Amino acid sequence: MSTAVFEGTRLHGATVRLVRDDITELDVDAFVFYASHDLILGSGHGTAISVRGGPSIQKELKALAPLETGQAAVTGAGNLKAKHIVHAVGPRFREPDLERKLRSTMDETLRCARRVGARSLALPAMGAGYYGIPTALCARVMLQALDDHLRSDDALEEVVISVLDTPQWEAFRAALEALDGGKAR
Amino acid sequence: MSTTEKQTRSWKAERVLDGMGKKLSRQITGSLVACVHCGMCTESCHYVLANPGDPTYAPAYKADKIRRLFKRHHDWTGKVFPWWVKAGSVYTDEELEELKDIVFGRCTNCRRCTFSCPMGVDLATFNRMARGLLVSVGIMPEGVAVVSKDQWETGNQMGVLKEDYLETLEWMEEELQDELDDPTVSIPVDQPDCDVVYSINPREVKYDPRTISDAAKIFHVAREKWTMASEGWDMTNFGLFSGDDALGGSVASRLYEKVNELRGKTLVISECGHGFRSTRCEGPNWAKFDVPFVMESSIFTMLRYIKEGRIKVDKSKNPKPVTYHDSCNFARSCGITEEPRELLHLVCEDVREMYPNRAENYCCTGGGGAMSMSEYTRERLKSGVVKANQLEATGAEVVVTSCHNCVDGLTDVIRHYKLGMEVTQLVNLVANALVIEGKPAHAVVPGLEVEAGSNAQA
Repeated sequence: MSTAVFEGTRLHGATVRLVRDDITELDVDAFVFYASHDLILGSGHGTAISVRGGPSIQKELKALAPLETGQAAVTGAGNLKAKHIVHAVGPRFREPDLERKLRSTMDETLRCARRVGARSLALPAMGAGYYGIPTALCARVMLQALDDHLRSDDALEEVVISVLDTPQWEAFRAALEALDGGKAR
Repeated sequence: MSTTEKQTRSWKAERVLDGMGKKLSRQITGSLVACVHCGMCTESCHYVLANPGDPTYAPAYKADKIRRLFKRHHDWTGKVFPWWVKAGSVYTDEELEELKDIVFGRCTNCRRCTFSCPMGVDLATFNRMARGLLVSVGIMPEGVAVVSKDQWETGNQMGVLKEDYLETLEWMEEELQDELDDPTVSIPVDQPDCDVVYSINPREVKYDPRTISDAAKIFHVAREKWTMASEGWDMTNFGLFSGDDALGGSVASRLYEKVNELRGKTLVISECGHGFRSTRCEGPNWAKFDVPFVMESSIFTMLRYIKEGRIKVDKSKNPKPVTYHDSCNFARSCGITEEPRELLHLVCEDVREMYPNRAENYCCTGGGGAMSMSEYTRERLKSGVVKANQLEATGAEVVVTSCHNCVDGLTDVIRHYKLGMEVTQLVNLVANALVIEGKPAHAVVPGLEVEAGSNAQA
């Protein structure tokens, strides 16, 4: 994926940026991996995490598994540039009550990031792509959760939303622009 | 559907039935209503031929497992007299799992049955639709899940990381420099304004990098202004196999966007049947992308170079008897049957046809992503007896195909049925047959000079 950046907006003192890049290679305090219930890293970004990060991450996860939908856990990031990985188990494949579950997953993810004192946090389009969560819904729920969270989190200075393709880019860019025009502060 | 039905259905079954309504294009609907159960398709399927006496492998039988849902929920006949048209529904996840075993495990979407159907029923197209509906609720073979997630998140279906891809290109470049004794030979990456942007199958990086260096050798000798891309280089598309149109669009658009970014004039697609079909034929629709550049298979590129005199070939360098296996996606879905043969005859001395061939050829057994579905390997290899008999009858020592999927499928069949044949691709044969001016046919060792051509062998 080509590196691209949309400078986004400021939200309650934090900068929210949109990038099209490999989330596992970002130089941030923490990034989010959309994990499975058994916390096996598996394929996709999981491959990148285990290959680039080394075996310590999966080893840490063994002690934390399993997690229910809506829960999240934090590990170190091994040899990756980031310091921490937040492993978030969100809804998948159009299961019932999708929006509420995605929102609670986001809330728990942000609580984990706060717990480790993250000043910069990278998020994927949570559940979009392989897990089939509609991109527009994903963007709306994620930005609502961020908006609410950042009211009370003074430590988080930078949020990077890392997307995979043009449809995701367009959805988040539109949502960020709406935020910027409407209620960014 | 009624409220009562919704209450007794699993959410997955409900989503599958709802989703079907959104997938019913005219082509799919036509195929779903047109079957008259004449049985003409039965003998066309390699699964049927390998399992005589088992009617559950018949294309019409498999199609009816999907058709019954259409009849019950989307066609008036199934609503008025469901018992007559065999309309039915699904309620449980177990029923969806059974459907999964049929649409993924008993059909390679090879489309051979379509060519036998007097009504033009295109089973592969609505079988793909059924796959997509199951994938949308998370029901799929484990291998399909792994590959799909890899392609969504790493941009290629084998999860090759960028650094590994680039290292492989560098490695192949060094090998080629040594082989040609020419330090200027290169495998360019991200060069803008090239005439050719060359896209490949990740299998080439992971298991068969020789195809990359062979292609590079051909481009070098042809003095092509070419490049590969650091991103968006995977021309395969698992969306074709999994039925996930969103994945199809995402993968295709990454490829097209990169060629645009590099201002490439032609996107050359290395030998891969489904990759060509996905990129050249289906991708622009999935991605809703108006592609401004030319897209061609490397088969055409290599043939063009020979016809234009940009490369010279000597067929005596490939003396072994060869036969050509038509990839289903090239032959049946894209109508490409003659160009690979023309090329093959230019670079090989002894070409033998297998029968049947061209659009009537049998699947290698690896079509439709079957190579990634290990739970069905036993059935797949059993169905391979048809291909094995075809191959053996040619008396050829080498099977040539223009598809990486077919290379794996054929290799498996040849190993299983102990045929002792080699499998190769046109790019390997063309590269081997190249006449490179100024380069002796053999390494020159002082005191051991050998006359050029005295020991030529593929």
